[in-house]
Amino acid sequence: MTNLTINGRSLASDSPPDTPLLWVLREELRLTGTRFGCGLGVCGACTVHIDGQAVRSCQVKVGQVGAGAITTIEGLHPSNAHPVQQAWIEIQVPQCGYCQSGQIMQAAALLAHNPSPSTTEIQDAMNGNLCRCATYPRIAGAVKRAAQMMKEKKHV
Amino acid sequence: MSDELLPNAGRRSFLVRSTTLAGAGFLSIALPPALGIGDAQAAMAATPAYTPSIWFTITPDGVTTMHIVKAEMGQHIGTAFAQIIAEELEVPWDKVRLDMPLESAANFGIYGLAYTVNSGSVTTEFDRLSRAGALGRMALVEAGAKLLGAKLDKCYASAGRVIDRASKRSIGYGEILQKVKLEKSFAYPADFRSVKLKDRKDYKVIGKSVPALDIPAKTNGSAKYAMDVFLPNMAYGALAIPRTRHASKVLSVDDSAAKGIPGYLKSVVIPDHMNKCMGWVVALAETYPAALAASKALKIETDAGPYGSLSLDDIKADFVALMNKPEEGANWVLEGDVEKSMSGADKTLAVEYSSDMICHAFMEPINCTVMQAADGSWHVHVGTQSTSFARMTLTAYLSMVLGKKQEELSVFVHQYLVGGGFGGKQDYDDVLAAAYCAHVLGRPVKFIQSRESQFAVSHPRTPTLHRLKAGIKDGKLAAMSHDMVSGWMGPRFAVGKKFNNGTDWLQLDSWDDKKQDIDQWSVGGSDHWYHVPNHRVRAWNSDRTTWAIQASALRTVSNSYNMFVVESFMDEAAHAAGRDPLEFRLSMLNGKGGNRGIPNTGHPPGTKSDYYLDQIWISLPWPTDKSWPEYESGTVGGALRLANCLRVAARKSGWGSKKLPKNTGMGLAVSSAEERQSPTWVAGVAEVTVDTTTGAYKINKLTIAMDMGIAINPDNVKAQIMGSALWGAGQVLSERLDFENGLLKQSNFHEYKPVRQVDVPEFDIELIESGRHPMGVGEPASTIVAPAVANAIFAATGARVRHLPITPAAVLEALKALKA
Repeated sequence: MTNLTINGRSLASDSPPDTPLLWVLREELRLTGTRFGCGLGVCGACTVHIDGQAVRSCQVKVGQVGAGAITTIEGLHPSNAHPVQQAWIEIQVPQCGYCQSGQIMQAAALLAHNPSPSTTEIQDAMNGNLCRCATYPRIAGAVKRAAQMMKEKKHV
Repeated sequence: MSDELLPNAGRRSFLVRSTTLAGAGFLSIALPPALGIGDAQAAMAATPAYTPSIWFTITPDGVTTMHIVKAEMGQHIGTAFAQIIAEELEVPWDKVRLDMPLESAANFGIYGLAYTVNSGSVTTEFDRLSRAGALGRMALVEAGAKLLGAKLDKCYASAGRVIDRASKRSIGYGEILQKVKLEKSFAYPADFRSVKLKDRKDYKVIGKSVPALDIPAKTNGSAKYAMDVFLPNMAYGALAIPRTRHASKVLSVDDSAAKGIPGYLKSVVIPDHMNKCMGWVVALAETYPAALAASKALKIETDAGPYGSLSLDDIKADFVALMNKPEEGANWVLEGDVEKSMSGADKTLAVEYSSDMICHAFMEPINCTVMQAADGSWHVHVGTQSTSFARMTLTAYLSMVLGKKQEELSVFVHQYLVGGGFGGKQDYDDVLAAAYCAHVLGRPVKFIQSRESQFAVSHPRTPTLHRLKAGIKDGKLAAMSHDMVSGWMGPRFAVGKKFNNGTDWLQLDSWDDKKQDIDQWSVGGSDHWYHVPNHRVRAWNSDRTTWAIQASALRTVSNSYNMFVVESFMDEAAHAAGRDPLEFRLSMLNGKGGNRGIPNTGHPPGTKSDYYLDQIWISLPWPTDKSWPEYESGTVGGALRLANCLRVAARKSGWGSKKLPKNTGMGLAVSSAEERQSPTWVAGVAEVTVDTTTGAYKINKLTIAMDMGIAINPDNVKAQIMGSALWGAGQVLSERLDFENGLLKQSNFHEYKPVRQVDVPEFDIELIESGRHPMGVGEPASTIVAPAVANAIFAATGARVRHLPITPAAVLEALKALKA
């Protein structure tokens, strides 16, 4: 049994400690917004936050999380209105949508650490997140828009 | 495959609603949680809803739910369809919802073939969705007029209300349904044909960039893909990577190591009755990680089969051998006298092109969950491009596995959002494997391809080899011949060439008297819209390749390699003729002969047959059903529309005028994907800078102009153009698959490389909203990038690379060849 803090709630997992966090989140705890893409940490679809840092949940064993606070897409904002989420809708980013939870979590972590990223910084931070529909131009645009919204509203 | 695939007159009579039909259809409608923004099912049960045709239902709460049979896989097709219907139906956009009908034998009879392919959804459905919306509006106006006590001819509908011009009073659609039960039905197809549609200048919803209805759920984790399905008591299945891509045979399975994995249940050899899962062993366990670990722990003894030592080099040797037998090639295009014209030419140019395999690599690996219900019926939960084919294929398979008649089997397919399709989610091997496992285990099974197994059993685009020859006379392209060999995907899809009624499916006869088979999906694109008086395209099928790699359709299908070849070659021909590539192209995009496009009836003058019209649409019922009101062909205007796109793109890019830095060049390309009879006109200019010391190059900017007729949702059209253009960029920059000893080699995204954020160039996109019939926009722009980039590399450096992808090494080699 592993105790986890996910989206502010205490949850327990019965999975063996070497189980990738991804599968615990998705299949055991049914927080399915976190997606499985590659299992190798090279696509970013499974990105979640642990203590505010963007991590690939397929590369983290559930036993390694310890007291770390996990945030998934479901817990990014209480009413799904994080500036990144708002910007994603405003700019109409998603196509098939499968990678977008990971993109959004990656972008939210970037902006939490760097509220005014340059174009190059956005490219660097988002480059590990694959989008096969190639919504990249809109992703980059939405990150900038979210940064602007955060400045205007001074929240999150 | 059976006659069931084809439209038949009997089914058509169901197309228009009746009360009983609406009830029957809806009781079994699957509400995908991601799309089901309202609970239409509950609303339906409680109130007398109105379903004037199969495409939508209006409930007394004033909500209109559009029933979307096409796969929602990134193109926002539900939103586009809803816009088309809402326009004529006059319903307010904020009261529009979407759902996806369940696939079953009964619903197939109602909704027809559920198949999303060929960039054809809007093209084929626009007309009848418009008519269905208009008919629904007419019925509501009639009922509303009665309730208002108004004269029918004084009433009109707007924003979900029927308004009496005389009294200025109005009543909402919802109120109408609360007060009366609507029974109005329409004669098919007569009413559909005669209904008066809006003047396109009066459109309010079509042409407006309304936000896509499926997007909010895709930003908060609530969007539901098949991967997110949970059924009580389900087990998990993971595929052990087979010895070869196809046709290996399992001799024995030793699972002693797997037995040590907690949760391991058993391993199952999948019977290969349909040659789809040959050599497949699935490990079953209580959790997916356990199933995956077990799949890797199995010791499987196999007979590698006929392709066990086959590699890409062997395939290339096959290609050359085939092409050296001209008499076996089938003519796809045959105009004028190519040989005679070549011999009289001032100058000839002969070159060879080729392309590597690539695969779809959608972000959502293939997965499905299958259960057999207590009543014996089978339920498949999957995100697929064709729920209909999934059901038919599984029904056929189960009948063989279980020794039952197909009629005794009841199979339902529940559709979900598709996490990327690109032509790769139309094989149903996963469904068969999961169903067989569910049968053996007596429990529901959720089958998930790991990324590694997904690559191993992917359905790649065939490698290709092309030989082209140009005959230049008086500075003009007098003759062009294009020989091509590839693995044809058509034969793999259509088991047995003809249907019982004698119609072809995908495979067409050649243009000459030889009547050889041709797979349209392997040669399309080579039949370009340039006026070349003597033109021949000849094709060979490398059957061994088709089966060994399990060749399939990949976004724009054969256009994805043929446009690279044709458009690179046009540049070469222009230079050989000593002309500017833009001016050279425009001179041939003159709309002459068969390139003028077709009116609704008849066929282009100068063509031998009604070939253009007789190619079969994947969607029903046009044009095989002559009783259907024919809609405007996308070819109207012909090559002149393509020339227009080219002019716009060239001018916007600064072609011929913009000062470019050293080693930077511009390249042009045009395309008319997807098929000759369904062109979306698109032209593009790539601006590329080459590092001549390493051969590496960067796409700085893509300027794209597209004439898609009506842009249903311009903002989304732009998104689709950008996404597909970047897909095209991946094909030229970095994507390739290797094949070695019967196996596809790349295993994950560290080896197979789609474009990423850093590869994104500047975009300048121009929509040419010509107002003609709307054509597909999800794929065509992907075809112009590779040739435009190849031509830009040439313009920048003089290096011509004739192979896809264009690697830095190949650029360096071409640069060295220049110096030598």
